[in-house]
Amino acid sequence: MRFRRFGSFATSALIAGAILWSFATTDVELSRLMSAGPRIADFLGRMFPPDPTVVAEIKKGSAETLRIAILGSLGAVILSVPLGILASETMVSPALYRPVRMLLAFIRAIPLILVAMLMVGAVGLGPLPGIIAVAFHATGMLAKFYAEAIDGVSRAPIAALESAGAGPLARLRYAIWPQMAPVVARDTIFRFELNLRESLILGIVGAGGIGFYIQTYVRSFQYDKAASVTIAVVVMVIAIEAINVALRRRFA
Amino acid sequence: MSAAAQIDDLSFSHSGADLPALERVSLLVPAGESIALLGPSGAGKTTLLTLLDGRLRGWRGRVSVLGASLDPDQPPPRVRRPDTGFVFQEFALVERSSVLRNVLNGRLGRMSPLRALLGSPTSHDLEIARRALSDCDISDLAERRADSLSGGQRQRVAIARCLAQEPRLILADEPVSNLDPARAGEILSLLTGAARVRGATALFSSHQPDLARRFAQRIVGMRGGRIVFDVPTSELNEDATAELYREAEPMPGSGLRVVS
Repeated sequence: MRFRRFGSFATSALIAGAILWSFATTDVELSRLMSAGPRIADFLGRMFPPDPTVVAEIKKGSAETLRIAILGSLGAVILSVPLGILASETMVSPALYRPVRMLLAFIRAIPLILVAMLMVGAVGLGPLPGIIAVAFHATGMLAKFYAEAIDGVSRAPIAALESAGAGPLARLRYAIWPQMAPVVARDTIFRFELNLRESLILGIVGAGGIGFYIQTYVRSFQYDKAASVTIAVVVMVIAIEAINVALRRRFA
Repeated sequence: MSAAAQIDDLSFSHSGADLPALERVSLLVPAGESIALLGPSGAGKTTLLTLLDGRLRGWRGRVSVLGASLDPDQPPPRVRRPDTGFVFQEFALVERSSVLRNVLNGRLGRMSPLRALLGSPTSHDLEIARRALSDCDISDLAERRADSLSGGQRQRVAIARCLAQEPRLILADEPVSNLDPARAGEILSLLTGAARVRGATALFSSHQPDLARRFAQRIVGMRGGRIVFDVPTSELNEDATAELYREAEPMPGSGLRVVS
């Protein structure tokens, strides 16, 4: 009891210390916020009206982002099927699934943008590093989801098929797969949505897609064009969300 | 009298349990009859049925089922598994599959592995599945998904799947414990009737003495992992049944425990 009270005090002290440290060591000039009003107004003014002449660039950029997300997701699914099986308690021994899970946790810990920068260095500019980065990054989560889908399956029907004399592959097909299919579909759609959102910014590091135009227009102070691209991105995200809601309902 | 199953001096403990689940059990299951395993929860009924189905490892003793002895360390060969059908207490259906698919799953052990995997039942397989559906009175549910059915309907699907195996020994673990008394009678009548028509032996567990008496020709009483009596139904007396369900005497140093 005493120990727990000390523990909760220590937690509070740690949080307070972290906040104080951040304030004390960051160069926060509150005066800058005071004079920011007119500058923000000027910035917003330059964004309006959005320049509609960039429709061609928007089309090209969003099509490329969409391709990166689709092919990246496909790559992630292909990598996640074997890795998901190898990370599941039901299918393999602890000696195998433990290191595989550690590997997946390691992959998840690397931010997508960092993977993309490394891939641009490795294979050059364009959509290819984007696709590889998305496939790699998404596998960390998707393979974990697949493993959980396998492990979440009810054991009783598997035992029933075993009792009837079904072999291991027949059991996989008729007892395990029907149970996990909707989970796999839901998780894959979810991951695709994340892939699309995250790959919107890949162009900023030269890994292809619509982010390239945001980067270009902001750097060259063409805020009205950047505004158009931003609107296109928002519309795209909303559309994908709506499509995914519909798809998820389909697989319920 | 030939035996559908013979058990000699069988003992088994679940790993980590301090009391054995089955202790020095010997039992002869006569072929072609309906036999009830009667006893309270934790008597060892499920363990005994699971063992006869070839899904229990690490027991001691001698067990033969349908003329072939079981190996305590290995599952029976695949070709023999369909001969023993098992009706699971919680039905064990594949919830998102159709009723017909669930019943066809009972045919998987009778198909060649390739055909089983390709999912192409022969017309013979389909015919047997359809007959099992009609025997269980659920032909009209064939295309429904298992998760859309009521408890009684699900138990019928579970029995139909078992019948589709064309088993010679039907093992049923508490097949009516989840059903109301009227449904329970219907299901047991269906199960024992289907076994009789097919010349198969039926061994079902129950904790309801009246149902056991109505549907079994022989009643085996179990308690604490042992067989307490093994008599023709006509010879079953109230005292023996009462003794089966008497409360356990508290033993010094042992807490209340449930063995399933």
